[in-house]
Amino acid sequence: MPSHFFIVLLTLCMTLSATIAQAVSKLPETIKVDPSALTAEPMCDPKISPAWREAQEIEGVKIAASPGCNPDNPAWIAAAVKGTNNISMDTLMKTGLSPDAIIKTDDLDGDGDPDRIVIKLEIMELNGRSPDFPGIIPTFDIAPGIQPGAWVFAPKTSGMSTENFESVRANPLLRLPSPVIRVEVGDIVQIVLENTHYFPHSIHLHGVDHPFSHGEHGGQDGVPQTSEVELMPGERRVYQFQARQSGTMFYHCHVQTHTHLAMGLAGMIIVEENKPNNWLQTLNIGGGHVRHPSVAVREQFDQEYDLHYHAMDKELSEIIQKYNDPRLIAREMNQRYDITDSTEDYFTLNGLSFPYTLRESLIIVEPDQKVKLRLLNSGGELIAVHTHGHHATITHYDGVEHNPMAQIMRDVFDMAPAQRIDLKLETVNDGKHSYGEGDWLIHDHREKGITTNGMAEGGSMSSIVYKSYLGEHGMPKVSHFGIDLSEYFTKEFYERRYPIWQDLDEWASLGSPAGQIGFDAGTQTSLLNALYGLLIGLFLYLIFAKREYIKQCATAMASRLKGPKGGNQ
Amino acid sequence: MAKTTTITFFLVAILALNSNAMAQDQAKKTDEHDHHDHSGHTMSQDKHDHSGHSMSQESGSAVDHAGEHGGTTEEDHGHDHDIDHSAHDTQATEHGDMHHHHHMDHDHMMDHEGTMIMGQNLDKLPSSCKSISEEVEITVRAGRKYSKNFPGTAFAFDKQQWNVKPCAKVTFHFINEDSIRHQFMMHGLPKYLYKYGMFHLEVTGPKTVSGTIIVPGTDDTFLVHCDISHHMEKGMKAQLVVGKGGEDIPSIPGLTPYNLTDRYEAENLPKASDKSSNKAEKNLISMEMTEFSSLNLKNYGMMLMGILIGLLSIPLFKKISFRKKSD
Repeated sequence: MPSHFFIVLLTLCMTLSATIAQAVSKLPETIKVDPSALTAEPMCDPKISPAWREAQEIEGVKIAASPGCNPDNPAWIAAAVKGTNNISMDTLMKTGLSPDAIIKTDDLDGDGDPDRIVIKLEIMELNGRSPDFPGIIPTFDIAPGIQPGAWVFAPKTSGMSTENFESVRANPLLRLPSPVIRVEVGDIVQIVLENTHYFPHSIHLHGVDHPFSHGEHGGQDGVPQTSEVELMPGERRVYQFQARQSGTMFYHCHVQTHTHLAMGLAGMIIVEENKPNNWLQTLNIGGGHVRHPSVAVREQFDQEYDLHYHAMDKELSEIIQKYNDPRLIAREMNQRYDITDSTEDYFTLNGLSFPYTLRESLIIVEPDQKVKLRLLNSGGELIAVHTHGHHATITHYDGVEHNPMAQIMRDVFDMAPAQRIDLKLETVNDGKHSYGEGDWLIHDHREKGITTNGMAEGGSMSSIVYKSYLGEHGMPKVSHFGIDLSEYFTKEFYERRYPIWQDLDEWASLGSPAGQIGFDAGTQTSLLNALYGLLIGLFLYLIFAKREYIKQCATAMASRLKGPKGGNQ
Repeated sequence: MAKTTTITFFLVAILALNSNAMAQDQAKKTDEHDHHDHSGHTMSQDKHDHSGHSMSQESGSAVDHAGEHGGTTEEDHGHDHDIDHSAHDTQATEHGDMHHHHHMDHDHMMDHEGTMIMGQNLDKLPSSCKSISEEVEITVRAGRKYSKNFPGTAFAFDKQQWNVKPCAKVTFHFINEDSIRHQFMMHGLPKYLYKYGMFHLEVTGPKTVSGTIIVPGTDDTFLVHCDISHHMEKGMKAQLVVGKGGEDIPSIPGLTPYNLTDRYEAENLPKASDKSSNKAEKNLISMEMTEFSSLNLKNYGMMLMGILIGLLSIPLFKKISFRKKSD
């Protein structure tokens, strides 16, 4: 019996080791990710009415066409131009703004536009932790599935912070970046900061002509070490100025600047030249296309775009998702977070990363246009913005006009942190200004700038698109080249779970390999060893079981050996 | 048998004592720190310290109180004024400005400053009510200062729960004492009477807004909160209990437990007692001493346990040897 068993086992071992040896000679199959397994988003958010893209007039405000996928809400523009105090309740209700968000009164110089401007800003948290459920609230996606914790200056809103009671998504006014502010030289501007956040904050008007201290409102440089104490939660402070110089400037929180700025408390502020009947679009929410440019810009340019480049550190933004207690968040941010050990992970243009930049930060041009681009770098490192297919002229550095005779053309624009440059982009097909029509990339040429947490393509990448290359729903037309951008509109792509080259050929030569069919080398050897062990064990057992027989044999042998010897004796 | 059980009990007791001693170690150390501190100070200093502390605390709170009093009296004046003003205002706007200019529909009223009343119900009886059971006025104060009583919050209402009878007609006077926007937003009301099941007061302070609702006739508990980003999460949350109420709303400061709590760990914060080097040295010595004694205690305890185990196992050894002999 045992000998039979033994033989069976032996053959089994042989076949097993044979199959193991065979598996090594063939590599695993390629597994293709089924597109239906991905959480696909529509490339252009269907929630937005196509009517928003058209040129229109609301409350007497002329609003230019904006053919991109997600144009600004025209009601926002009407409210920003007229002031929330000068529009109908109907228009106001379409904005979601508080009725006192932008107050425009008093034509002091009698040139046909209001000169007393009151802008109310609140501070809102995005993607922060909740003590009630294990998610974050209110959510704001910078790219599919990417929700970094952030703080923003937001125009004063009315009502809920989310879309509605069932939704956790942020109200569209609560978003990155902090809004672009436009005022005129000579305006008496009051920026009223209502600190709705749970931390102290301030506003520093970087580059804007403002008095260090104001008679009524006290110190107003925004710096807790020089001009004012921190503005505590629930408090309000007025920053008042009457700018004498125009230019593209910068505003940001100056409390714990090394973290608060990166968290998103930073925006563009533009002082426009004083012109008659210059009703400015006081806020450009979300930046990008300026649909009601100033008189001076309209005189010299066909279009204007605000391009706010920003960068965020994942570790910093995660702090408000790890803790709810403000004391713990303060401890982590102020005492434990070390910016000198940090790296930036998210690179945004107007608060979003590719592919969402295609929805609302395209620079949509036509041939032979002059386009004004205002760029701000509010990230912590130098960036190098490159325009494919174009050389643009730098007209202003940090809001100050560069000597017109010495202005230069470049195709890489390096910008130090907090730096602003104004560009004149001319779409003249002469091989220098432009190489002709196309869907030309505009991106930060530090290569990490085109990644989202290291995953390409992402980051602050966008395009200069000629209208002839603009497709349905205002997205760039690329399908005629066989290009499919839909994979970028899935969160699995940025979760690094999609093999990005799997669809380049029929058999997915660069797809994802399946797991090993057999065993890996380690388990193979250990399995073989176990088999040998079993065999040895069985052998020993056999010896033990047949010990009597072996003994007999041995004695027989011994006697046989002894026998002749004894016989000899 | 009885013997062994008593012995094991004794052993367990010893073990517990030992661990207790170990656990107390920390506490003792800090105690001794304090002791040492006090002894380290001269009497007068000690006194001074104490009095200073109590003084500062008292005076602090007194100042606060005074401040509050002053503040509130001033603010009260302001409030009264504001209330009057806003009352006039709302009336004025309701019947004038608001009606023509800012009035959206019967459910939604808003003035030029964003003061909002939404989902007000003055006369529509819920289907579960035959008549109004009582008319109540509730004053709700909102502001950062009410978060003082709840460490780890940033904003709060002055109360976290209000009780009314079923079918009560309740008028809320919502006083926002901060200089920013706050909301008194109620959810879960019957949708046939309240759009989205919501009643909502909103005002930028310091100012008051009032609104009225008629609560349903069944026992229930309604969420009240401020929906400005992270005001609820950071403390501005309460509940309205109708009759005996329903299920409690979670994470209301001081009232109901949080669904998710943060992890807290003690920090190595500098203490006033560590300030002078002299004291620090003494502290070190005292620490060493306490450590030494507690170490000895631990050692002795372990030794005692060892002896006991030895004693306990003697019969076992005997048995084994007997068995061997008998074998």
